[in-house]
Amino acid sequence: MLDLPSLDRRALLGRAALLLGVTAAGGLSAPALAEAAARAKPFLAAPAFALLSAVADTIIPVTDTPGAVEARVPALLDGLFANWASAERKVELAAALTRIDARAQSEHGKPFAALAPEVRTTLLAAHDAEALKPAPKDKGVGSAGLSLGLGTGATDPGYAKLKDLVIILYYSSEIALTQELSYEHAPGEWKPSIPITPDTRPQGAGPY
Amino acid sequence: MFDAIVIGSGMSGGIAAKELCERGLKTLVIERGRKIEHGADYTDWMQPWETPNANMIPEEELASDYAVQRQCYAVSAATQQYWVKDSEHPYTTPADKPFAWIRGYHLGGRSLMWGRQSYRLAPIDFEANAKDGHGVDWPIRYDDLAPWYDHVERFIGVSGSKEGLDQLPDGEFLPPFGLNDAEIQFKQAVEAKFPGRKVIPGRVANLSHAQPHHEELGRTSCQNRSLCERGCTYGAYHSSLSSSLPAAERTGNLTIVTDAIVHSIVHDPKTGKATGVRVIDTHTKKHRTYEAKVIFGCASTIGTAQILLNSKSQAFPTGLANSSDMVGRNLMDHVYAVTVVGVLPGGPNSYYHGRRPTGLYIPRFRNVTENGDFLRGFGYQGAVLRPGWRSTLLGKPGIGAELKKRGRGLAPWVVAMAGFGEMLPNPDNRVTLSDKTDQWGMPIVHIDCAMGENEHKIAEQIVADGKAMIQAAGGFVLSGESKPGVPGLGIHEMGTARMGKDPKTSVLNKFNQAHDVPNLFITDGSAMTSSGCQNPSLTYMALSARAADHAAKLLKEGAI
Repeated sequence: MLDLPSLDRRALLGRAALLLGVTAAGGLSAPALAEAAARAKPFLAAPAFALLSAVADTIIPVTDTPGAVEARVPALLDGLFANWASAERKVELAAALTRIDARAQSEHGKPFAALAPEVRTTLLAAHDAEALKPAPKDKGVGSAGLSLGLGTGATDPGYAKLKDLVIILYYSSEIALTQELSYEHAPGEWKPSIPITPDTRPQGAGPY
Repeated sequence: MFDAIVIGSGMSGGIAAKELCERGLKTLVIERGRKIEHGADYTDWMQPWETPNANMIPEEELASDYAVQRQCYAVSAATQQYWVKDSEHPYTTPADKPFAWIRGYHLGGRSLMWGRQSYRLAPIDFEANAKDGHGVDWPIRYDDLAPWYDHVERFIGVSGSKEGLDQLPDGEFLPPFGLNDAEIQFKQAVEAKFPGRKVIPGRVANLSHAQPHHEELGRTSCQNRSLCERGCTYGAYHSSLSSSLPAAERTGNLTIVTDAIVHSIVHDPKTGKATGVRVIDTHTKKHRTYEAKVIFGCASTIGTAQILLNSKSQAFPTGLANSSDMVGRNLMDHVYAVTVVGVLPGGPNSYYHGRRPTGLYIPRFRNVTENGDFLRGFGYQGAVLRPGWRSTLLGKPGIGAELKKRGRGLAPWVVAMAGFGEMLPNPDNRVTLSDKTDQWGMPIVHIDCAMGENEHKIAEQIVADGKAMIQAAGGFVLSGESKPGVPGLGIHEMGTARMGKDPKTSVLNKFNQAHDVPNLFITDGSAMTSSGCQNPSLTYMALSARAADHAAKLLKEGAI
């Protein structure tokens, strides 16, 4: 395990670069590669961005609605690396990505991004289930109905945070809020009771 | 020379300025922060996908500049401009007694980010100190303030339902934001099982239906966006910028000075009156003085204490209006962050539309209709909602199509109730000046405040009663935390210049007039003699309006 608090910022950034640098490029979808090319000031190197794109695409794939890649989640998360994440967070997220790639290498001999979509899904579903088990010392934390935290209390907090960020970016996107959920910036009237129909979708914003 | 100076432009200062201006007084409002333009400077236009960094403040900036403010629920990238940088505005506390001083320094102050919940204190609240001996007796009773509650409610616009409860008097209400079906079901279950308990729509200073006198000020009805703390371009909630300062401005009697930190209030020992206010220019750090016939202190509870304690003279060696030694003492907040959450599996098969700016409220019942093994009581704010994707997806296992399906489904009804408990006045909970100064040369405040035994008992009861009500509604409890939050997080600081009958034990008289200085009025939270359990801003505004009316009369009579 990394002893994060003992590392200074420069060392942390170096560690993040190292972690991300070991990732190999893989066979991603054309839109994801185009997105990678279109990023204004990319923070992640192309191989790391390909891995991130593959992970985001596997967490939130295209179904009858667009997925994370179409909602520009990888590029937005690249932006969070550059503009939001602390040095410690960068290392934590990078390490979480690298663990997924290492698992792909160990189980299939290939980088995660090079795997077929259904293989990626099987691998990441198993990884996800293990990573999000409550950590023994924090039992119960983060599993309550109103969890707003970024993965506190999970067995693999780095993965939990990475996944939460993918979810946050996707469900804050115009695509998700207009096609997956419902969102009106100014609903106008408060209607305290409306019937539920097959078309009813949760409101995409609210107090929790 | 002005007729009146109002120190601070927030909740209390805005109303004080309006009332003074409307009585023909040339009034200067002094604000320590920068100017903010109603509408133009707000961020309520940002769609969720337009907020920077998914509406999160960069982590290192949050840690270095907002170590205290970050604890407030309303802090986000979209509201970042409204919170002080703790790194620039330091204060100290004892190491084992943290206090969260949540603040915004800009025109309008915290009236821009307030929670807008608006409840009257009740007759029992004004009688409580006299009855159980904690603190000193209020010099007023409910009936003294009732007409001023009417006056303020009408002006600011409070939505709510008339309930006829002695412990939570009705007011001049706009139509309520109604309870949803699950809340009605919860209400029926709670009221059937616990006679005396009531579940009512939260009373909130949002215009459910704007009236002509609101529209005259450019205010329109609430759009149910629940983006209030970003500032509302519709002017649908009351703030100094949307409501009280525009009303003051249209009289032609208002002058506003921003970027001016009040250093002290100047006192003339010959006349015994305050003559003006000394300020420090935020940018040049130069001092200058403004003069007026009457001065209103509305700088917020801790800010006002700081100014009074720093206004030292031969006549007042321990601070202006402090012959009682009560300035800075009896600091109170509410017992806060004691929250009970549960699921109601048998909730109704319906949903709601819109994001109303309030929820449900459960008025105080302990030591009203049911006994408690503690003094005073508490109320709850809450809601029964179908939580959105943050609750159903974050931190939960599952990926791919299953995750999307879960996010798309309506969640079961979840009830969340946050208790707000009364905190007893205690002279040892106090604000003093430290030896250190800030970058403007002002002595920084030292805040020494802690919850006592009674507050902890209240917190326990909040959780026990909350759980019982969830169970009565057929729900199961998910969580219930009975450790109160750090004092200050309720953002209901009050008490540091309390009203009272006796100049020896209180700072202000029954009209918020300093016992020691007849032309000095303090009408922010520092005037509060006890805290009640109700959100206090409405009371500050009613006291401000009443005091302004009285001050104007005294000026006219030549009495001050």
